[in-house]
Amino acid sequence: MTVREKGYIHWDGVLLERRFSWWPITWLGIRLSFKKKYFKFIYFGSFIPALVFLVGIYISERIQDFKYIVRGTPKLLEVNPAYFKAYFAGDFLIFMMVMILVVSGAGLISDDLKGNSLQLYFSRPLEKRHYLFGKGAIVLFFLLLLTLVPGLLFILFKLLFSGSFKFIASYPWLLISVIAYSLIVSLFFSFYALMLSASSKNRRYVSILIFAVYLFSDILSGFFYEYFKKPGFILISLKANLQQVGAFIFKTQPAYAVPWYWSLFIVLAVCFLANFVLLRKVKGVDVIK
Amino acid sequence: MIVELNNIHFSYGRVKALDGVTLGLSKGAVGLLGPNGAGKSTLLRLLLGFLPPQKGTGRVLGYDIRLEQPQIRRHVGYMPEDECLIPGMDAVTFTAYFGELSGMPHQEAIKRAHDVLFYVGLGESRYRQLETYSAGMKQRLKLAQAIVHDPKLLFLDEPTSNLDPSGRKEILELITDISSKKDIQVLISSHILTDIESVCSDVVILNKGRLAAQGRISELKRLRFRLYEVRIKGNGQGFIERLRRIGYTVEETEDNLLKVYIPEDQEILQFFQAAEEEKVQVRLFVRSQTSLEDLFAKAVGVD
Repeated sequence: MTVREKGYIHWDGVLLERRFSWWPITWLGIRLSFKKKYFKFIYFGSFIPALVFLVGIYISERIQDFKYIVRGTPKLLEVNPAYFKAYFAGDFLIFMMVMILVVSGAGLISDDLKGNSLQLYFSRPLEKRHYLFGKGAIVLFFLLLLTLVPGLLFILFKLLFSGSFKFIASYPWLLISVIAYSLIVSLFFSFYALMLSASSKNRRYVSILIFAVYLFSDILSGFFYEYFKKPGFILISLKANLQQVGAFIFKTQPAYAVPWYWSLFIVLAVCFLANFVLLRKVKGVDVIK
Repeated sequence: MIVELNNIHFSYGRVKALDGVTLGLSKGAVGLLGPNGAGKSTLLRLLLGFLPPQKGTGRVLGYDIRLEQPQIRRHVGYMPEDECLIPGMDAVTFTAYFGELSGMPHQEAIKRAHDVLFYVGLGESRYRQLETYSAGMKQRLKLAQAIVHDPKLLFLDEPTSNLDPSGRKEILELITDISSKKDIQVLISSHILTDIESVCSDVVILNKGRLAAQGRISELKRLRFRLYEVRIKGNGQGFIERLRRIGYTVEETEDNLLKVYIPEDQEILQFFQAAEEEKVQVRLFVRSQTSLEDLFAKAVGVD
């Protein structure tokens, strides 16, 4: 006898009052991301710099053995806060983060808007903030895995390869810098992706928008910077702002003569703008027409 | 009582959406009827806990609609009117996902998703991508996600829209099975009155934010008025106006037939007196069986 023939059957379990009601959203989002075309390729490709920097840490501790490779550029392999900053605020890593957003972040809200599924979410014991946090946590998960985890591994392997705690004694604040910058950059990109994802029902359009806003902010900033020779124009660039903040957090020389707090202000302003847009776009009450 | 509302008021700015609605729903299937703008959607929003009433009190499944909204939504299933899906998912993932969001453990939700998908007739296509589903399949999927967590109360918004006759019949059979043989209260909002009549034992009719009628369909049809089909020759408009002044409700059909609703406390004699005074010949005067459509028309006003 099939289930259909048997008629409706009651479920004999108990519905849980979850402490983290957003978790199913995050968990499913992570699983679905890996099913997306090119995602695995892009995501695992993003770990190449981490691998290179990890090898660099190893070589820096065995510099005598690798002298024939290094050939007079041992300064590059000097593991210090600048080394960490070079990883975290490197062009390639930031570019790959944007590519991750393009592939896995674009559809987070736009797919729900397109499929009219917000009303299904909010007819559950789920509040708007839980929904948004669950969606944002998907991006956060991928980006923290790409920033925080390698950062912590760099420190750990540096200690292991050197066999002493001298490194951590020289830079006791580095661990906090790694955590702080990882959180800032991941949160920024989470807000950025969610804001643009909520702006349209078309996932492809959002993908293009995520990439275009990042790229054009950089091109525009470069153009004005070159034309007017005023460093203030770098504030237009999302990438440059993140790099300026990174330079401050890792206590290195910033690339541009612009106070770091202006860049931090821009980064926070984008986050607040995103929050404002999300609260307006994602409405629980309007789900029943 | 599964749902108890007492003197509920709700306005959108100056527009009154609900104006002193008091109702109580007991077990079984209940139809929610009303013309556009009657307040049905606002009532559903209130019952799902999206809106707190501006005045009045209410309880759904024993939970306060002002204070215990998450608990209400945990135990309520909702099938929206619009097409709802998440692109890139199969039906099992989709259904289990909403089960989990309602509070089911992950493994249980997956197991239950298979069961309900078989139940609604999507067993064979449960691993297909949702974008490839037909309109009828999407409708069944919406029902599956609404019942996956075994709700005690089910809100169905136009459950048979976009369905062909056989699909419609099957969905109605499922709703009948859920509401009559199991311990689940169903509230159906629909414009298809025959669907309501075939599935529901009770009906709630809203009009202009007020409760126009409520109760068992059979009793409402029998008690409130008598319906007559009338064909006349002579000054039709004058006669109709006269009948309306007496207190009858008159509806003109396309084939020149008049449907006259005579309130139960009024005499039929007045009808014939009016015909004589207006010099109208009554060619046909037949007592008609009242349908839900008639009841609806009478409740919301046919003019």
